[in-house]
Amino acid sequence: MMIRLLLLTLLVTVSAVSAVSAVSAVQAVESDPIQSPMWDYTRQQFIGSAPYHFDERVKVLLPAFAENPTQVPLQIDATALAGDIERIVVWADLNPIQHIFTYYPHPDVIPKVSLRFKVQQGTAVRAAVLTQSGVWHVGSAYLDAAGGGCTTPSTTGNGSPFWESHLGETQSRSFPLASKGGVRFKFRVIHPMDTGLADAIPEFYIQQVILQNAKKESLARLELSQPVAENPVISFDLRDDLNDQAGQYQLWMRDNNGNEFEKAL
Amino acid sequence: MKKFGGSFAVTALVTAMSVSGIAQAGVTDKDIMQDQMTVEDVVSNGMGPRGQRYSPLDMINADTVQDMRPVWAFSFGGEKQRGQESQPMVKDGVMYVTASYSRVFAVDTKTGDELWEYNARLPDGIMPCCDVINRGVALYGDLVIFGTLDAKLVALDAKTGKVKWKKKVADYKEGYSITAAPQVVNGKIITGVSGGEFGIVGKVEAYDATTGKILWTRPTVEGHMGYIWKDGKKVENGISGGKAGQTWPGDLWKSGGAATWLGGTYDPDTNSLFIGTGNPAPWNSHMRPGDNLFSSSRLAIDPDTGKIKWHFQTTPHDGWDYDGVNELISFDYKADGKTVKAAATADRNGFMYVLNRTNGDYIRGFPFVDEITWAKGLDKNGRPIYDEAFRPGNPTVTEDGKKGSSVRAVPAFLGGKNWMPMAYSQDTELFYVPSNEWAMDIWNEPTAYKKGAAYLGAGFTISPMNDSHIGVLKAMDPKTGKEVWRYQNYAPLWGGVLATAGNLVFIGTPEGYLKGFDAKTGELKYQFNTGSGIVGSPITWKQDGEQFLSVLSGWGGAVPLWGGEVAKRVKHLNQGGSVWTFKLPKS
Repeated sequence: MMIRLLLLTLLVTVSAVSAVSAVSAVQAVESDPIQSPMWDYTRQQFIGSAPYHFDERVKVLLPAFAENPTQVPLQIDATALAGDIERIVVWADLNPIQHIFTYYPHPDVIPKVSLRFKVQQGTAVRAAVLTQSGVWHVGSAYLDAAGGGCTTPSTTGNGSPFWESHLGETQSRSFPLASKGGVRFKFRVIHPMDTGLADAIPEFYIQQVILQNAKKESLARLELSQPVAENPVISFDLRDDLNDQAGQYQLWMRDNNGNEFEKAL
Repeated sequence: MKKFGGSFAVTALVTAMSVSGIAQAGVTDKDIMQDQMTVEDVVSNGMGPRGQRYSPLDMINADTVQDMRPVWAFSFGGEKQRGQESQPMVKDGVMYVTASYSRVFAVDTKTGDELWEYNARLPDGIMPCCDVINRGVALYGDLVIFGTLDAKLVALDAKTGKVKWKKKVADYKEGYSITAAPQVVNGKIITGVSGGEFGIVGKVEAYDATTGKILWTRPTVEGHMGYIWKDGKKVENGISGGKAGQTWPGDLWKSGGAATWLGGTYDPDTNSLFIGTGNPAPWNSHMRPGDNLFSSSRLAIDPDTGKIKWHFQTTPHDGWDYDGVNELISFDYKADGKTVKAAATADRNGFMYVLNRTNGDYIRGFPFVDEITWAKGLDKNGRPIYDEAFRPGNPTVTEDGKKGSSVRAVPAFLGGKNWMPMAYSQDTELFYVPSNEWAMDIWNEPTAYKKGAAYLGAGFTISPMNDSHIGVLKAMDPKTGKEVWRYQNYAPLWGGVLATAGNLVFIGTPEGYLKGFDAKTGELKYQFNTGSGIVGSPITWKQDGEQFLSVLSGWGGAVPLWGGEVAKRVKHLNQGGSVWTFKLPKS
């Protein structure tokens, strides 16, 4: 109830702000295909007054219903805009913490990434892709959920010593993609990813993920927020020819408590 | 609200800086060394490296203090209210203060608004013996550095609260934790460790305050090797005490305790860290005949090399949990026309000691509590003259070998004075000692060391000695050992003292009162109820021409956990968890 009330207040404030900015905006205002009550607010947050349009080429793939609201699989596919991408910002409109992650793909990688996240209630999920021209391409999907995923204590963090003794342990594997020349790297890291919204458990989550090649070039960089699911499972798609020349990939992560984890893939 | 994207975050930061006008100077070594005289900030634990807790500010004084009133209070929020033993720091309009459960808050000193907070995510298996407390941060450059209950040092960005570096000092699974405020000396961050009840090995460590790289480690139990890092290489730096087995029997030195759980002070005149050590492990002294160095001692350590220059053991072969951790405060006094470079400490064991701080020589010692049973006095070197009738008996000589004879020892294990720091006034030349009058029944039991398990070999229960009071704030003359005045408090005192040039002495009580006394006479001049028990240490500083005073409120610490018969004097005290800030009204 509290959260809903807060959102309502924010919404009123923000609509006033966006009404003013709409006057000065040159672009035509496209209406939200999901008709989310938070669109104006979250757009201000993540895109600001930059030009944008809803673009079906940015795919947000979700199950129709979040059977487990603490582990919702999500795939963002911006392959259609490959080579032209500055960053991809992904959020859930009605989560108490909206931002899920921001992805900075290297121009040479396939801009497709998957992970699992926590959902608090049924919500629109967005992926906004900023291209080099300065225009945002927004993909949307609606996720139905019973909810509560963000305020439930993590299972490993809830009185179990498991997470602490295994913190940062990473398993990874790679396999070729069926469709076209590419390889998928998938890894799982032990981390409670506490949102700070469960009672008496402070926020504790991985904030930075960087995948580097042997030349220490950053191929993929992710900034994660609290809604990323416990024990994150993340997969990146890389081009096959990159894999041939690369030899060793290095995964580096850091959480908000300053713990750093490294793993050769 | 969360911020995303590089440009947005930078813009927001620039805006925040220009609005608040916060200077970006950062804390220098010079700031720390001169902290006592620079009244516009508080950048060291003890309000100056010597730990005198004396401020030259006198706007709030014995004549004006009755008009002092709170200007803001700041809550630590949530369910984690208990046990607020921190001393706040103040720099450039920001207060940096720790709260229980390894939390740090940055607060605007003018308004009490929160700027940021950091909550360490603690493992469920942490083993703090005596509550989930923390005693404060160290400041250096643009870093805020503190120790956590899982025995790590964490350096936060002073502007954002984000982690800059983090180092594991010891393994919490073995019983280590950190509760003391670290200390900065010439670019090094110095920390000790807690865990004397778990058979850990005490140590003092120095890290590069900017990078967090370890520089040296000095074990505080005889027989353990110290190390120094030269060009990134770990090099042997001498066994503490020369070699093992001199003052410990068998293998007991390997789990010998001597935890450095209260941190220390620093004397620039002699370039010495003064750090105390806790009880030898286990409590049962019959298992470890000998002096058990360097337990229950004060150590003078060279901050550049980590070598022990001298030690003074207050309770050799301790059998009562008389930790020797209490702060050793440097001060000078005149005797026969000459300046004596002295240092004083009020020990858990009931005696106050005045030492020559250049070499650790004993100058004089005297009781600062009304009754001491375990020792008949101190000899000419300051070593206690034991009364063996008051050492708890050896369980192995009893018929079933399970429980030794019980004795009634005074002071109790919580000490004539515990961690709560005393203050030294440069005006009155008196020490203001927060003491407690209590006794204990204590007996020994067999025990064996097991990693991560309590290692005591003793049972105990604590009891008051007077119906009227346990706590006594005493003004003590270090030159004569005489008590000048006293204030008696019903509940035990557990908070630090502050003395000011305004002829005032401040202390908080478990009943919740911040109290101000005339430093010369002990007359009560001020009191204000903060709503929960005070177990923190007050500070004072000057801002925009006005004198401010802050203290934490939030009952907790060791007393409610180990209280025995004392518990009924404190069980009605409610938890809080806030900072209170006071000043005089503008005329």
